Amino acid sequence: MSFATRSLMLPFARPASRVAILRARSYDGDISKLLWEALREFDLPVQGKKVLLKPNFVEPDAEGVINTHPAVVGAARECFLRLGAASVLVAEGPGHERDTEAIVETIRLRDYLGPLNNLLVDLNLDEVHPVTLPTRASKLQRLYLPKTVLEADFVVSLPKLKTHHWVGATLSLKNMFGIVPGCCYGWPKNILHWAGITPSILDINSAVRPDFALVDGIVGMEGNGPIQGSPKASGVLILGDDPVAVDATAARVMDLDPERIEYLVKAGALLGHVKTDKIRQLGESIASVRTPFAMLPAFRKLQIRNPRP
Amino acid sequence: MLPAENGGSDATQDALNSAPLTGTFCREFLLTNQNPDGGWGYHPTSPSGVEATAWALLGLMSGGRVWLPSQPCDRACDWLLHAQLGDGAWPAFPGQPQGCWTTSLASWALQAHGGSVQAVERGLHWVLNAWPAEGTLWWRLRQAVGRSAVVRQDSSLRGWSWTPGTASWVEPTAYALLLLRNLPAEMLTSQMKKRRRLAERMLYNRMCPSGGWNSGNPLVYGVAGVPRVGPTSWALLALIDHAERAENRISLDWLEQTFGEIRGAASLALAHRCLTAYGRQAPPLAPMLGSLYARNRFFENTLAVAWAALALSVNENRSSETSSGALTS
Repeated sequence: MSFATRSLMLPFARPASRVAILRARSYDGDISKLLWEALREFDLPVQGKKVLLKPNFVEPDAEGVINTHPAVVGAARECFLRLGAASVLVAEGPGHERDTEAIVETIRLRDYLGPLNNLLVDLNLDEVHPVTLPTRASKLQRLYLPKTVLEADFVVSLPKLKTHHWVGATLSLKNMFGIVPGCCYGWPKNILHWAGITPSILDINSAVRPDFALVDGIVGMEGNGPIQGSPKASGVLILGDDPVAVDATAARVMDLDPERIEYLVKAGALLGHVKTDKIRQLGESIASVRTPFAMLPAFRKLQIRNPRP
Repeated sequence: MLPAENGGSDATQDALNSAPLTGTFCREFLLTNQNPDGGWGYHPTSPSGVEATAWALLGLMSGGRVWLPSQPCDRACDWLLHAQLGDGAWPAFPGQPQGCWTTSLASWALQAHGGSVQAVERGLHWVLNAWPAEGTLWWRLRQAVGRSAVVRQDSSLRGWSWTPGTASWVEPTAYALLLLRNLPAEMLTSQMKKRRRLAERMLYNRMCPSGGWNSGNPLVYGVAGVPRVGPTSWALLALIDHAERAENRISLDWLEQTFGEIRGAASLALAHRCLTAYGRQAPPLAPMLGSLYARNRFFENTLAVAWAALALSVNENRSSETSSGALTS
């Protein structure tokens, strides 16, 4: 059983999480090989299972800065199939753009995955079912969520390493906003903003707990993310069996203190580990790959280099 | 990982392998994939939903009365009528307790089909009384202490929200305006006209500084938002009565310049319909849609097919007798 499929536990009762940092300087390298060697270390229970990859596809962007790069999506799919998964779907419900086809064609997803017809699920237009939210962090209490997600055996959040102009950083937990279906809540899913971004992140990730997270930090985004920032070549992939720990590690790589990011602090109490002594670090050290991200003035207080406010 | 050599064919190859798409093909697709209950899902065999059914009905009617098969349309209308809530609104899917933006679309489709006057009036009543959450005291307080310096918009200008209790956004506002625009003049009350003017002002206020619209805010942290094809097309269609305004012209210019970069069928159909509605030149749509269909079969998205039917019908059937809306008028 992976970390995330355990029920909600207080931090002291949880086992340590495992997070690996891999150096990957460009998307042209053999990402599959790199990822395969790392994933084997995790002994993931995916044999014969339905795996769902949830990338971060936001808008048509040919530059490869806004969206999870298709090379990473393709490599992840290849690896999970190699690990024995019965099926590996790619599923996303973009938050702003109704035309998901326009996004995947612009980023040339098919070049990395082959024909997409039976492989890609637009979560914005999927069949939905009501789900009572286990945590009551927001006033939402209940959300309609896509059948494809609810029926998946193993969910992998595949975000991009980016800053975010409302919450500081968007990583694997925030990426799960994309499972909330536009067909019920619109484009953008404004109900989540009104319920509060931080409590919504907690509620969504408690309802559908990603079993694994893989952050595309080969080229991330700094400054005014998640759409209008600048490319930031960080040269890393960050992955692990506890999405909270993965996000905390990714934040540290960005030179952000995860214990100053509100949603990570709260997720650390309910969903996973934020503190370093509870995260078993594999691969590269954080210090060796740390790449400080430029932040909007409102979020400079999150930077490790700046004293705690 | 390197791109698969045989992973996907080049766009040119797709174009060579594909035939131009016709409105008839799209309408046949819709007919074939109507659910037994009379509605449509977002995809074939998906449960029927209000938005997909409304657009499919409008798409079917785009063929004109000569082509129009009455039985499937009547069944679609019946499905919509059964899905209407007690307060006159429509939810996204039957069984959901709350109405939302789909009310504008369902009312519009029923109005276009004719009949169902009472249901349309009840839907219209709900739409006119559905106010977005911004502009309230709570919202103004939030703005005062929080984002007022971050986001530039005039919150006194209100349109329509996606779901109750949330803010005005471009697309649901455009849908409601298109509904109002397609009503017979005798149905338009002074309250409706007032609400329409306010919503039009809201749309202009939300325009990106260089023209066009997006699904977010036009200016955040002083950085101009990037327009997107879908919201721009909807806003322009909703504001077509103000075609002479500079905002419309620069937004159309942006759409025209962007047209060649569009990679999705839904956006392509919308943009084409929008440009032709304004009398702008656009490349022939049928071969472009044919090429995209050969690639992904539009991911069997009912909306994309319905919008394609509406856009293609303009050239194929200019003498359409239907009133399927501002998309064709």
